[in-house]
Amino acid sequence: MAGTITSAESAKEKYFFLLRRLHSLSGLVPVGVFLLWHLIVNATVLAGGDKFQFMVDQIHQLQKAGLLFVVEMAFIFLPLAFHAVYGVVIALSADMNAREYRYGPNIRYTLQRWTGIIAFAFIMFHVWQMHWLGEPFGGSMFKPHDAPASTAAAIQASWWFITFYIVGVTASVYHLSNGIWTALITWGITIGQRAQRISGYFCTAFGVALLLVGMGALWGFTTYHAPAQPDQETAHTAAFVADPQHDSH
Amino acid sequence: MAQDVIVHIQRKDSPDGATYRQTFHVPYEDGMNITTVLQRISAQPVTDEGEHTAPVAYDACCLEEVCGACTMVINGHVRQACSALVDNLLKEQPEITLEPMTKFPVVRDLLVDRSRLFNALKRSKAWVSVDGYWDRGSGPLMAPRDQEEAYPLSRCMSCGCCLEACPQYNDKEDFIGPHAVSQIVLYNTVPAGQSIAPERLDVLAGPGGIAACGNAQNCVKVCPKEIPLTTSIAKAGRAATGHAIRRWFRR
Repeated sequence: MAGTITSAESAKEKYFFLLRRLHSLSGLVPVGVFLLWHLIVNATVLAGGDKFQFMVDQIHQLQKAGLLFVVEMAFIFLPLAFHAVYGVVIALSADMNAREYRYGPNIRYTLQRWTGIIAFAFIMFHVWQMHWLGEPFGGSMFKPHDAPASTAAAIQASWWFITFYIVGVTASVYHLSNGIWTALITWGITIGQRAQRISGYFCTAFGVALLLVGMGALWGFTTYHAPAQPDQETAHTAAFVADPQHDSH
Repeated sequence: MAQDVIVHIQRKDSPDGATYRQTFHVPYEDGMNITTVLQRISAQPVTDEGEHTAPVAYDACCLEEVCGACTMVINGHVRQACSALVDNLLKEQPEITLEPMTKFPVVRDLLVDRSRLFNALKRSKAWVSVDGYWDRGSGPLMAPRDQEEAYPLSRCMSCGCCLEACPQYNDKEDFIGPHAVSQIVLYNTVPAGQSIAPERLDVLAGPGGIAACGNAQNCVKVCPKEIPLTTSIAKAGRAATGHAIRRWFRR
């Protein structure tokens, strides 16, 4: 057993730099880009359920080509899982000391680790809820053909969910914005203190803007009421077939 | 001035001994620093309870903040005892606390073993390699622009402040530390040091190298010599990435 541990330790040592760099990169691309895109798409619900449904239909064109699962796995799930799991390893290697050394960057460093853990827990819940929680547990889940109403029903199921979404989205947005700031240092792009200060303003502005988008999306789904129709699914399918725009590329 | 300065000191009799605290009353003197306080306690090691105790062990050498030997945690913040003036410390809090650095093994009382700090400099080959005794003539010239960037880095006195404040410098990680990262940048900038630059970049791109940095940036805030450590870290990050990619394509 001791031999196994030693070889695992030496592999960890050998690939230390590569793993840390991949962790930094995966947080930006594809995970960060996905978060940005995901929140923007969700916020389209503010312009009406039809707009959001249109975006979902566009994305689910991939399903027709049989690519949606592959794309989700290769560009979202696996990079996200790596970023999350290795991120926990990194967070556990820290001896946080923001209480003793109350400097701005140190507080942000501590928050980066905590928001990472919160975002990890939230995203696990979010994926589970939207994909699997659904019917077996009497809840609601995301249905691509009935996107706005099913998403709204899932989020509106409990005030507790809404709270968790607000916390989770805020943590994720902070983690990405601050992650961009540190990545610019990690990759040696912002070198001087002035450059790092200015990039901090940009990252703050980016974070505030993305937070507004995310909260807008949540507001949209929390206040969404499906148009009264006797059978939504049938009605929507009929509209889908009748409307040639849905099938156009 | 009859006023006494009250000093709480964290003590430990031996490397494996128990940690305990003692309080001392030291007569105030104008302009006294923590090294003076410790000297006065050594001269008369009596606690506030009247107990005669062993003098407090501490390190001190240059007494002008250029050697780094007297680094300790004063009022909860890491700094040098010699340049920590009692007048300023009393403005922070009414009674002074002295503790050894937490990132290094305590030898006794306020005295720590900073071997890990120096071993990181050895690992980083933070020197100009000279293999022989002959006269090598004058060194290569440096552009003033490079001098201006290199000189501040050469002020490092290996005191350990950056390591004490760094949340990534601990037993869980084999991080070389901001001081070593900055010394690598220095010796890779100085022409005389560049002959073994790739070996230093191997260290930066290796386990416990620059990738162990978490950008908490405490190092640059606590550095008594005001060395732009975070600038060195960003430069090192870029150099290590380039080096790792080049190394990979040369295989």
